[in-house]
Amino acid sequence: MRMRMRLKAAAAAVLCLHCLGVYLFTRGFLLTRTELSAFSLPSDLLQAQAPCCSELPSTTNQDQDLPGWTPPTVERVLILIVDALRFDFVAPSSLFQKKQKWMDRLPSLQHLASTHPSSSRIFKAIADPPTTSLQRLKALTTGGLPTFIDVGNSFAAPAIQEDNWIHQLVHTGRRVVMMGDDTWTQLFPHHFNHSYPYPSFNVKDLHTVDNGVAQHLVPWLHRQDWDVLIGHFLGVDHAGHIFGVDSQPMVQKLEQINAILQNVTDIMNSQKHLENTMLIVMGDHAQTLNGDHGGGTSEEVETCLFAWIPRSLPSSISSIFHPSTCGLGLNGKNICTSTMQQLDFAVSISALLGIPFPFGSIGRVNPELYALSPGSWDRQWLPASFYEDPSSDLKMWKNNYAHVLCINSWQVKRYIDSYSATSVMGFPSDDLHYITKLYNEAQSRWSDSKNRSCKPENGTIDEFSDFLLSFATLARSAWTEFDMKLMVVGLGIFIISIIFHLFVFERVQSLSNVYDNKTQKSSNHLQIYVAFLLVAVRAVSFLSNSYILAEGRVANFLLATTAIGSIRSSLVYGKIKKHDLVFLILIILIRFGIEKGMPKQAATNPFLNYDSGSDFDLKWLPSLFEGHDFVILLPEISPMIILFLLSFLSCKYITSTVHSRCIKWVVTVGTMLSYLFIATFWLSERSFAPKMVYVIGLSLFVLNFVLRYLGILEKGETVQRLRSLALVMVSAWSPTILILLGKQGPFVVLVCIIAGWSIISSKNKGLLDDCKMDPISVMQWSLLAICLFYQTGHWCTFDGLRYGAAFIGFDEFKVVRQAILLFVDTFGISHILPIFSLPFLVTIPNSSSSKGRDKTVIFLNLTQVYLLYGLITAITTTFTVLCVAIQRRHLMVWGLFAPKYVFDAIGLLLTDVLICVSALYYC
Amino acid sequence: MRKAEIGATTALALHSLCAAGLATGYWLSHSLYSSSLITDPAPTLRILTVCEAPVVILLFSWLRRDHDRCSFIKAVARGLIGLPIGALINAFGAIVLGAPVGLKFWPATFYWSMLMSLFTFVPAACVFGASKLDWQQILSYSKPSNIVDYMLSVPAHGAIIGAWLGAWPMPLDWERPWQEWPICVAYGAIAGHLIGMLFSPVLIFLHRRHIRTKTE
Repeated sequence: MRMRMRLKAAAAAVLCLHCLGVYLFTRGFLLTRTELSAFSLPSDLLQAQAPCCSELPSTTNQDQDLPGWTPPTVERVLILIVDALRFDFVAPSSLFQKKQKWMDRLPSLQHLASTHPSSSRIFKAIADPPTTSLQRLKALTTGGLPTFIDVGNSFAAPAIQEDNWIHQLVHTGRRVVMMGDDTWTQLFPHHFNHSYPYPSFNVKDLHTVDNGVAQHLVPWLHRQDWDVLIGHFLGVDHAGHIFGVDSQPMVQKLEQINAILQNVTDIMNSQKHLENTMLIVMGDHAQTLNGDHGGGTSEEVETCLFAWIPRSLPSSISSIFHPSTCGLGLNGKNICTSTMQQLDFAVSISALLGIPFPFGSIGRVNPELYALSPGSWDRQWLPASFYEDPSSDLKMWKNNYAHVLCINSWQVKRYIDSYSATSVMGFPSDDLHYITKLYNEAQSRWSDSKNRSCKPENGTIDEFSDFLLSFATLARSAWTEFDMKLMVVGLGIFIISIIFHLFVFERVQSLSNVYDNKTQKSSNHLQIYVAFLLVAVRAVSFLSNSYILAEGRVANFLLATTAIGSIRSSLVYGKIKKHDLVFLILIILIRFGIEKGMPKQAATNPFLNYDSGSDFDLKWLPSLFEGHDFVILLPEISPMIILFLLSFLSCKYITSTVHSRCIKWVVTVGTMLSYLFIATFWLSERSFAPKMVYVIGLSLFVLNFVLRYLGILEKGETVQRLRSLALVMVSAWSPTILILLGKQGPFVVLVCIIAGWSIISSKNKGLLDDCKMDPISVMQWSLLAICLFYQTGHWCTFDGLRYGAAFIGFDEFKVVRQAILLFVDTFGISHILPIFSLPFLVTIPNSSSSKGRDKTVIFLNLTQVYLLYGLITAITTTFTVLCVAIQRRHLMVWGLFAPKYVFDAIGLLLTDVLICVSALYYC
Repeated sequence: MRKAEIGATTALALHSLCAAGLATGYWLSHSLYSSSLITDPAPTLRILTVCEAPVVILLFSWLRRDHDRCSFIKAVARGLIGLPIGALINAFGAIVLGAPVGLKFWPATFYWSMLMSLFTFVPAACVFGASKLDWQQILSYSKPSNIVDYMLSVPAHGAIIGAWLGAWPMPLDWERPWQEWPICVAYGAIAGHLIGMLFSPVLIFLHRRHIRTKTE
């Protein structure tokens, strides 16, 4: 009796620990940001009566054709993106400790920066991780910070759903032309007037994209029918990936880019229509010396932005530029650089072009970039009489900039409010209060200065900037920074739970050794070591993304290893038995099932280069039988035949195992009816049939517990009782799982049954005591469960869920109901069935030695089996957690590691819950 | 009885002959056909098999267990029969563990399993024939009485463990040509076999010393 309590208590304690660990780690790791689908509209400012535009109506009335929030300050913008542009490619080498081979290779930009210090500027642009092109482009156009949710989505379907300045441009009738990297056309499929996309994935190709851009760029510069032109060069990125930064191809590539840029600036200087055009040369991210990028190190995030406008600007601009770092350029003149955040780019370019700011942008209009546009020095909002001294350029500019910042702050505040109202996980309320306070102070100061009809002072600009920068900091901490403390605490709790688990397991182990001291005492120590070695191999394999992708095949490999090991011991102790060979053949079948799912997975996962043609080409097989009718009929008929076989098998086993007569009848009839309904569903697609299957399954499941507590199933010997309990439980679940799996269901369940039988009959080679727990069998059981998960067409990403299964028997969508079905489909064959059927491992061998065994010993063994199974799952999941924590800055963290973590965490909690239920039910 | 005459040095010499067979095969494929295991695995494995087979079969037939009832020729014949049987078992094992089964892999799989058979099955077939007891003994280590047992079992286990470990890099995304089946597995098997051949004389030496101290 104490023994039974022990399993329940231990299982409950482990469940609690795991819940806590998963909760804490998830809070620290899974950064979530909800994408808002709202778009900014030109009329928003008037409708919302934003506090900044009290004087706007006069302007908007005059300029009905200007649909933006702010007047445009440049006519056109030419954006040339050089992928993976490092800051030291552009900045003068005198700024760095040592002149390297790749520095000063873009002299055309340096020349402009030194000869036109008041109309050009080199910025060090700080990007936010992840520094991969797709995520950066998304951030650059929306002005947001990509996190788990949106990055997770963008790997599957890249088109941008959030508001962005490309959308605003198109919406306000501007003409956008794009040339270069085809990622742009994936992100914006219908936005460009003209686009010249070139493939971006062939890293070894250094020239196609760049030559394509160079070929189209010059003709377009001579044309006038565009407003924004985007050119995206990829050669520098590819040269970095292949040869590294310190290489001759990189130098050649930079020289080619320099020649193109020189040509562009010459044309801009000579063409009249380009006089009011801003040239922006920028990198989307930088790269390390090896050419890698994706992470958050300073080498990867410190990219460059160069801006220049051919028109000359007032010289007072120099007072706007921040005190900056300067160095001598190639021609001996001084070149100064500033620092900006890439986050600010989207809103700055919107302000320059005079379009509504993207709804989700959280940046600040960069003063230095804004000052580079001639329009920002013109009178925009206020009547001339307002100033006694209209010639003061600087005052005018400050007034304009304060206006823009006010609108900017209003837009960000609007985003904060609507984000807090709609998102699942908002910002911490203390921080929100602080931010709101800053905003209110800035706004009240702004309106005060208006009412007293004096000039907006420097203070206003500072207060707005303070608000915007504070919010950007808050957003960064919520969306891009993992909470390491929580993650470490969560991981620590996982480790504590494993230690606790091991301790309990060891106690039970020593207890069981006391009970059967007559036989070999240390006999299963070796097997425990082997089992833990296999667990360790599996656990360590999660450190590599490749092994996570190939997890099904790794589990299959380990399962095959144990099977071959068991054949070896069969040889040693006698001869090879039938079930050993059957098991090997089953493993081959399971493996084919796993490999069949791989191409499907590869189709949606860009990281998995799975060559379906080479590994699994049995295409020649059907051609052998071409023209025969049975080839067409076979896939239709075989599930039916196997279903029939299954119903026969289960009928036979239920009648022979369950002794209580009434239960025998109830369960047999229930199971038969379920199989009948499944067959009807497949033949006629009637939707009532699956519903009946679910109802029968649920009522059998409930009935089991009721009967169990009424004591009806208590009769008979312990072993027999346990066996019939497990059989009834499995029969209650299997028809539901089977119908959800679809036509593959009968085959999979048959494989499951035969494999289980092989594992049970091959356990404990050479030991006298058949019922003693064999750790290797438990390990095999768990490996088989993983194999079945992959064999049934699942894999650990969200597009690996079989959504079709949720609609078997139902046409309309209801969240809870469909979620439950999907859950049962995903975890049924890999968690629910294997865990409920674990008692078979202890009770099936009906040899003479098990007859009349002590009740306590059997429960001891059952406890051992459940504890070991839970321990195996807990150890692998803990390693998944550890690997995810280690790889949190990995390029594939959102595409691969995070989904794997989510699946494993859910699987672990489910395993714990099921063990608790089993402990209640069986003990 | 000849088995008593074999010492650690003889075993080492015999093993080096086997290794020399492998080395010759490797050298031949390199210099004559200028093919390596990485560029074209199937032909290279074929050359290795062809060079290794006579060495192994002749050597282990000479070491056959019951000299009185079994002639040298008969032992050679046993080895020749054992070669395809062992290859079949090895190929089956590889497929169970996940080797690809596509048509284009058949030649490489065939020659790889032949080579594996030479490492594992053929020596024992030459020495024991179909004696079930000897086979069981050699698998279980229950009575490591015989020096030839060490010579058979240690390199064979080495080859199998080497091949098993050699399969590990295959799923990694390094995109190296040697990650293809069966190149790294063949490398692992050869390496494991060579290590086993180095290791078995050491075990034999220890074993003999153990026996000597026992008898003294």
